[in-house]
Amino acid sequence: MKKKIKNKLFYVVIFLLVALWFTPIFNIILTSLKSPQDYYSGQGLFELPEKIHWKNFIDAILVGNLFQYMKNGLMISFLKVPIGILVEALAAFAITRLPIKFKTGIFIYFIVGMMLPGQIALVPINIMYNTFDLHDTYFGLFYAYVAFGTGFGILVLRGFFNTIPRELDDAARIDGCNRWMLFTKIILPIAKPALATLFIIDFLGTWNEYLLSSVIIYDSKMKTVPTGLMNYVGEHTTDYGMMAAGVLITIIPVLLVFLLFQRYLVEGMSGAVK
Amino acid sequence: MKNKASISDYLYLVPAFIIYTSIVIIPALWSIYISLHKWNGICPMEFVGLKNFIYLFSSDQIFLVSLKNNFLWIVLTLTITIAIAMGLALLFNRNFKGRAFFRSYFYFPYTLSIILVAVVWRRMYDPTTGFLNELLRLINLDSLTSLWTANPKISLICVFAASAWQSVGQPMILFLSGLQTVDPEILEAAEIDGAGGFRKFFSVTVPLMKETFVIVVATQIITSMKVFDIVMGMTAGGPANSTQTLATYMHSQAFLWDHWGRGSAIAVVMLFIMMFIIIPYVVFTAKRE
Repeated sequence: MKKKIKNKLFYVVIFLLVALWFTPIFNIILTSLKSPQDYYSGQGLFELPEKIHWKNFIDAILVGNLFQYMKNGLMISFLKVPIGILVEALAAFAITRLPIKFKTGIFIYFIVGMMLPGQIALVPINIMYNTFDLHDTYFGLFYAYVAFGTGFGILVLRGFFNTIPRELDDAARIDGCNRWMLFTKIILPIAKPALATLFIIDFLGTWNEYLLSSVIIYDSKMKTVPTGLMNYVGEHTTDYGMMAAGVLITIIPVLLVFLLFQRYLVEGMSGAVK
Repeated sequence: MKNKASISDYLYLVPAFIIYTSIVIIPALWSIYISLHKWNGICPMEFVGLKNFIYLFSSDQIFLVSLKNNFLWIVLTLTITIAIAMGLALLFNRNFKGRAFFRSYFYFPYTLSIILVAVVWRRMYDPTTGFLNELLRLINLDSLTSLWTANPKISLICVFAASAWQSVGQPMILFLSGLQTVDPEILEAAEIDGAGGFRKFFSVTVPLMKETFVIVVATQIITSMKVFDIVMGMTAGGPANSTQTLATYMHSQAFLWDHWGRGSAIAVVMLFIMMFIIIPYVVFTAKRE
């Protein structure tokens, strides 16, 4: 009997927490369906408006330029993520599989960058990008993203490469593989799960990045989703309906990636530190 | 494989080395150099030694507020965020139907961009039409309505709440995987010896999860020192600089007011404080495995 009550209490606690965590999103959904008159007239917080204000979504796309931001985000992500992973995999392969010197030192050199505050590099990046005319370019954003991603990528891939048995290297050498073939034909295919995990984490990280893009991108046409969303927020007044609609539209790709690949994500997150 | 390295072996490191060094390491060192100068990016640089740092610590009130806010943020994260994350992890470590769903549910906000989260919470806090005040009016608690982020006394806490909502899933996942390594037999043994729930948790579970705690605490401190997006998205440091952090204040100094020397000096201060965590943590990471 006591156990039953305890069990019920357990579900009540979980239900309350779930409701609490859903509140901000629930509020955004309602806002996106209302016109300013609806919420200024003090219409009930939990009521739907008499007429759903679909114009918010149209405004978010047409006035808010949302598709342009999403396109830029996708372009940068699909440029940065595969190339970044290749660069990180090459380095992780050298650190784990080749007889180079100072392996630990090199590894430490790379992972320090993962923890440094981005601010420490911002002013010089700004100077360099002015000199080489890299502001407002895909390449400029891509290059900085790859650089700031190397530490985390090498950390994850080194951890995984270390779990691949070394006997495979010897067997491959006897079969006549050189180092490049060992990398491309044996290590990379075995590392597919780790590469997939890294791909997802990296994709979300790139799609969501704000600090670097706010310093590198000025031109509204080149903005990614986070910098673009900041345009929706006015200094004094904000068109909340349009903003909420924009938020919901940009959540969709993230939600899809999350639903499809959450296993990789959650396991990768805990695996990355193991 | 031959045991001696050839030059071609080092080539594998070259792309990562060049890209990373050119955009992270060289600029970081360059910033340290700039921090010793007075410079607006246009006029020639003027060497001023440690004057930027002396100014920041002796007479820049906003800098001191930022510093205080970062430390407050660390304290809030290490108590509130970690307590919620641990609580959720303990809930979802039990065996019940749908626990995988709930685990993902609380993790999901962490995959959203922080700017998006900031925008969502702006809507919650809006004093005239926002959810919180509307709700308070609905249940006749008008006296509790507040300006929230527009009230300098509580603005930082309001921003922190939004951040906690977003980020609690990450330490939760780490705690969950840490809890999995705790041997249930040891807990059973403790129970037979008469340990209650709390005792079991603090005397058995926590010590056994020492490594997880090191990781969570270190990463949370590092993230707290870098707090930027959520503040920019919600208050941009205001009102009256009450939510300014080192990262946002550095951004204002360098990019709004073109004080490149002073801005770099703030970044250098961030770096030096963080080194107390980063160096031991990096050594810890490299030594594992």
